Amino acid sequence: MADEGVVNRYQVLEELGRGSFGVVYKGIDKATGETVAIKHIDLESSEDDIQEIQQEISVLSTCASSYVTQYKASFLRGHKLWIVMEYLGGGSCLDLLKSGIFNEIQIAIICRELLLGLEYLHSEGKIHRDIKAANVLLSETGKVKLADFGVAAQLTYMKSQRNTFVGTPFWMAPEVIQQAGYDFKADLWSLGITAIELALGEPPHANLHPMKVLFHIPKNAPPRLEGKFSKEFKDFVAQCLVKDPDFRPTAKELLKHRFIRSAGKVEALQELIQRKRMADVRVDHVKHPVYYQETLHSISPKDEADEWVFETVKSIVPRRGTVRSRKPSSAFSVDDAMRKLDLKDGPLQPNTPGTVRKSTMRRQPSSASRQNARRDSIRRRDSNGSPRSSLGPRRPLQPDTSFGNSGSTMRLFRRVPSDNSNPSGVDPSAREFANENQPPPTYHASVEPNSKEAMLGRRLYNKALEPCLDELHAQTAASSKREALARLSDAFALLDAVDPEGAYHLLRNLVSTVSHDTKLSHTFLPQPPQQQQQHQQHQPKTQPSQDGTVLIKSSRPSTATTLAGTPPTSAAGNSPSKLIISQENPHLASHRRRRGSMLPQPTSPTSSFSEAGRFPPAAGRDREKGGEREREREREKEREREKERERMVALALEAKFPGRAAVPGMEHCKALSDLLYARWTDGLRARWGVVGGA
Amino acid sequence: MSFFFGRTRTRTNTSDLAKQARDHVTKLQDGPQGAAKAEELAKVLAQMKQLLQGTHAEAEPNTEQIYQLVTGMIEEDLLYLLAVHLHRLPFESRKDTQVIFSYIFRFRQPTGPQKPEPLALAYVVEKRPQVLVELCKGYDHKESATPAGTVLREVLKNEAAAAIILYDDGEEQGSSARGVGGINPDRPQSGRGVFWNFFDWIDKSSFEVSADAFTTFRELITKHKDLVPRYLAVNFDLFFDRYNNVLVQSNSYVTKRQSIKLLGEILLDRANYNIMTAYVDRGEHLKICMNLLRDDRKMVQYEGFHVFKVFVANPHKSVPVQKILIMNRDKLLQFLSHFLEDRTEDEQFIDEREFLIKQIRNLPPAPVPPPQR
Repeated sequence: MADEGVVNRYQVLEELGRGSFGVVYKGIDKATGETVAIKHIDLESSEDDIQEIQQEISVLSTCASSYVTQYKASFLRGHKLWIVMEYLGGGSCLDLLKSGIFNEIQIAIICRELLLGLEYLHSEGKIHRDIKAANVLLSETGKVKLADFGVAAQLTYMKSQRNTFVGTPFWMAPEVIQQAGYDFKADLWSLGITAIELALGEPPHANLHPMKVLFHIPKNAPPRLEGKFSKEFKDFVAQCLVKDPDFRPTAKELLKHRFIRSAGKVEALQELIQRKRMADVRVDHVKHPVYYQETLHSISPKDEADEWVFETVKSIVPRRGTVRSRKPSSAFSVDDAMRKLDLKDGPLQPNTPGTVRKSTMRRQPSSASRQNARRDSIRRRDSNGSPRSSLGPRRPLQPDTSFGNSGSTMRLFRRVPSDNSNPSGVDPSAREFANENQPPPTYHASVEPNSKEAMLGRRLYNKALEPCLDELHAQTAASSKREALARLSDAFALLDAVDPEGAYHLLRNLVSTVSHDTKLSHTFLPQPPQQQQQHQQHQPKTQPSQDGTVLIKSSRPSTATTLAGTPPTSAAGNSPSKLIISQENPHLASHRRRRGSMLPQPTSPTSSFSEAGRFPPAAGRDREKGGEREREREREKEREREKERERMVALALEAKFPGRAAVPGMEHCKALSDLLYARWTDGLRARWGVVGGA
Repeated sequence: MSFFFGRTRTRTNTSDLAKQARDHVTKLQDGPQGAAKAEELAKVLAQMKQLLQGTHAEAEPNTEQIYQLVTGMIEEDLLYLLAVHLHRLPFESRKDTQVIFSYIFRFRQPTGPQKPEPLALAYVVEKRPQVLVELCKGYDHKESATPAGTVLREVLKNEAAAAIILYDDGEEQGSSARGVGGINPDRPQSGRGVFWNFFDWIDKSSFEVSADAFTTFRELITKHKDLVPRYLAVNFDLFFDRYNNVLVQSNSYVTKRQSIKLLGEILLDRANYNIMTAYVDRGEHLKICMNLLRDDRKMVQYEGFHVFKVFVANPHKSVPVQKILIMNRDKLLQFLSHFLEDRTEDEQFIDEREFLIKQIRNLPPAPVPPPQR
């Protein structure tokens, strides 16, 4: 293609910015060494007519003025249109405004330069139609240039007018909004608005909705520049903002305005550029330059099985003998393949000629299909293509490249648990649960617990459930019962492997429910000594009590209540699951204070506590108090130990995730705080009980 | 002072301007001497432009002077010379020339008989059609493409001017070479006339030239509702063979996409009803179109769809068209049900797609000859 030579002329460097139109890159003209700006417009993503872009190019390409950004070339590359423009390192006035408004001296210079630009454009029969700070660019030396001719109009005849409603509402002249025919003068109104924008930071009515502004501008008196500005500047703005275009001066006339005539040199504008750079540095604007990467055609290989069936394909081909004919038949796909050879992803996308449809079904060798699959996965990774992933089942030996790409949850990797919690004896029976169509249960590749609950769940299984089940299994004689137990054991093993967090919640809820039922809680939630005994009974070899499953500790409330001498009934009502007030809750604190100073009120709003406080015997209060203090100290210690344990767990977690933050999220704290709540409220209840009895 | 000077000079030289320009333009050639001549020519052209255009607020253009200039240019055959040498002129002069052409072709004599045709344009169309042919050939050069194209699009609004370009066929009998009166619209074109060059200009030129040529081509093909359908009917095979093989299959994304879109517009234009029915009768046209649906670029698929729908919606499908559709019925149904699924906002498209699916599903099991129309 004719354009190919031109493409190679430019070396594309880092990204300068992006907008709705596409991406602008900095580039170098290899022939001259000149820095250029290259706009890449993705035509495929633009619905609107290519003609509009073409119009912009044709307006720009017929401009030759130092006040207009210079157009250099444009060419097509696939479905991307490259427009090469003069590089202006100062940025747009809108960008520069971000580090502060402009002073009058600077505005005068910019306005003069813009007027010179407009004078040129208008003499050429062009209307810019979108003058605003965002479309005024500065070179590094301070030269001011008009940019963005996206909506510019080229008049064939000087006297003709336009009706098209284009521009940006805040800057639009009343006659443009009214669509009653307008000419060059519209640009001068916009210039006036731009002057206000530079002085104040935003155009008039900036707080209004753009649609509303469209009613305001024609209806109301023109905006005025107000504030501490010179008379000349105010008058200049007023001259631009004359509502009747017939009385609005031309660019040429405005160049004679005092405000403009006294304007200084453009070099003074370098200050603005410096200021912006300083500001950027201050905000620690670490720029990671994004370099241009060639995407090329994202050609998805044509699936030959998808081709249309044209019975007559073969007979047609020879008829098109001319060299230029590119029939989309098999000949075309060869041509297509040739074209792809120079693409970077070409080798991965061999284009099989579209003959497969014919009677001889070609069986693809496995290597090819593996290649297919790899190609597929590669394509899946780059999001551009529309992957057709149905390429048949994967070969068993083929590495599963979808690994780690699922992206839905955090459980990306399966790993062998570090502890030897996996008795091989469970394995065979476990298979019974596995549906044949499902992947085999992966005990040895269980989920790495990555939340507090999951850690506890895993621990629960390893330290409590599994030993218990084993023990029970060993003690059971009847084979049917053994079988049932084995299944349960396996089910737990599976749950632990897949969802340790689930195991945690299961037992937690179980304990909580049990505590609600008086009889059950009597039976199953025994006093601490018993519990410890039981514990030791069950796992004689593991660490004693303290280290026992954290979960069992969460059943403490009832234990604590018994210690405080409260009947278990009230304890049931006070189960931690019903507790809603947090430890740090300020209400609670004030409540406590009130409680301390006032007589106990049984009908306190937080009745659950006060109820607990009603029952302690008044007698032996002091003794009770002393004991309470002791117990409190004990509990304090225990809490300390608990915390210590949590820290250990956290450390363990950290050890298991080297290089990662130990706390992936706040949800970790939930289990901990739940536990602490329980113990803390026990303490409270006990204390208030004492107070209440007084 | 200089202001007054300029004005007087302009006035005295009006009748002479065309002659001066001619002298310079004929001596235009590459090399240092040519450059000097070009400079002088540039001055003359700038003067002519100012005379035609007037300046902004001041100096309304003087009709009498313009009349003199127009007649002078006709006498000196300056329009032809400028068109031929357009690409050699300097940047500003090319733009000036474009303005001069536009004004000259638009100029109507204020007095005298109420002639519908502007003076210079009537002359060109009747006596000097080569001016228009040469303007088209401006697409041979990057430099002249935009100014020539701008002038052409303005001029082509005139039906006679469009006919000149369509029916240009060298020295053949019935060619427009001897003026609009000599045209024989019933004689099939040889395919060597200037109109047929547009296919190559669009397909082979750089983006800017190609895009400009396409815009002019579109104007030429869509503007005149009597002239063009007749022309296409006579030259049906030649036209669509070039169209499908050069434009629709172009390597340039823009050309491909725009030409498919234009094809849809041509077919769906009421004035082109007979062209449309003839087009959608051909099985090979359907094949081209179905392959466009499978293009790897979404917008090409989309534009292709708007041509494809004409085939399917046609109540009198030819046997070859039915054959292809029936043969691919299942594939088409499957394909269309997922075709451009992300176009969820485009209700018209969704409706049309549903309609097509219904039409294809209801096709008879075997082709049925369409009822005679």
